[in-house]
Amino acid sequence: MADYREAPLATRPKTLDPAEYFNLSLDQRRAEEERAGLRAQLKRQYQMQLNNPHRKELIEDPALTRWVYARTNPYNHFRATKKTSLLGGLFGVVPLFVLYYVLKTDRLCLTP
Amino acid sequence: MRISLFNVTATIEHGCRGFQKLGSSSFQGETARLLGAFSQIRAASGPSKGMLPGPYPQTPEERAAAAKKYNMRVEDYEPIPDNGEGYGDYPQLPDRSQHERDPWYSWDHPDLRRNWGEPIHWDFDMFIRNRVDTSPSPVAWHTMCKHLFGFVGFMLLMFYLGEKFPSYQPVAPKQYPYSNLHLERGEDPEKQPEEVKHFNI
Repeated sequence: MADYREAPLATRPKTLDPAEYFNLSLDQRRAEEERAGLRAQLKRQYQMQLNNPHRKELIEDPALTRWVYARTNPYNHFRATKKTSLLGGLFGVVPLFVLYYVLKTDRLCLTP
Repeated sequence: MRISLFNVTATIEHGCRGFQKLGSSSFQGETARLLGAFSQIRAASGPSKGMLPGPYPQTPEERAAAAKKYNMRVEDYEPIPDNGEGYGDYPQLPDRSQHERDPWYSWDHPDLRRNWGEPIHWDFDMFIRNRVDTSPSPVAWHTMCKHLFGFVGFMLLMFYLGEKFPSYQPVAPKQYPYSNLHLERGEDPEKQPEEVKHFNI
């Protein structure tokens, strides 16, 4: 697989990444260990809740809560920039006028 | 490194202590989600303000706090660039779909190939295994493009040429028997029908 070339819209699989095999400096190893540590802590928390015989309720996932909150409340951090104004105008204002014109001229009288 | 792990544990446990309720936390979670839709109203129950997404971090301390909140390393945490579209301090995770994750690892949620508490990509609902797949294609992309567009282009060209230059069996006007249906067409039976020659032998 030495001549593998990734596609423009696809990604290189982790197992074909040469950095994983050759350039493992101590810093990278330490980083991987820290990530594994975080993962292990989360796993432990989940397993403790899962196997608790006195638990009666669903296990709540704070990451999910945060994701839902972030997706439903983007307007808290919305700012009117050039791009957002352009998108807002393009999707919210222009269709009104275009549809009005198109529907009016599509009627039998063929005049606005 | 051991000390840092302990700090991480302590922080996560402290932050998550609010979630380990003995009451009916599922109902309270529902309320929090419902009320979270109206941004200015929040119940006193549910996650504290520090555990929910906030504005884009300006100082390194805010960055560190946000990384802790999202259960990520400070070096890994990179918020989505602030362009006014309302992302806040949500982290920018790699745009990899769940197809690419190891199918043989023991995930907490095997169908989603995700562990509990792991930070969720902004477009997670797009990257589930029923939807967008970013895994590498088995054949090179340029080969696939060439094959597909070559075939479709060729077929379009041939159909266009077939429309322009039609080719079919030779045809002639229809020939009727009984002197061109002389009687059936209501002509005079006494009158001699005219001779119509259809062919030359």
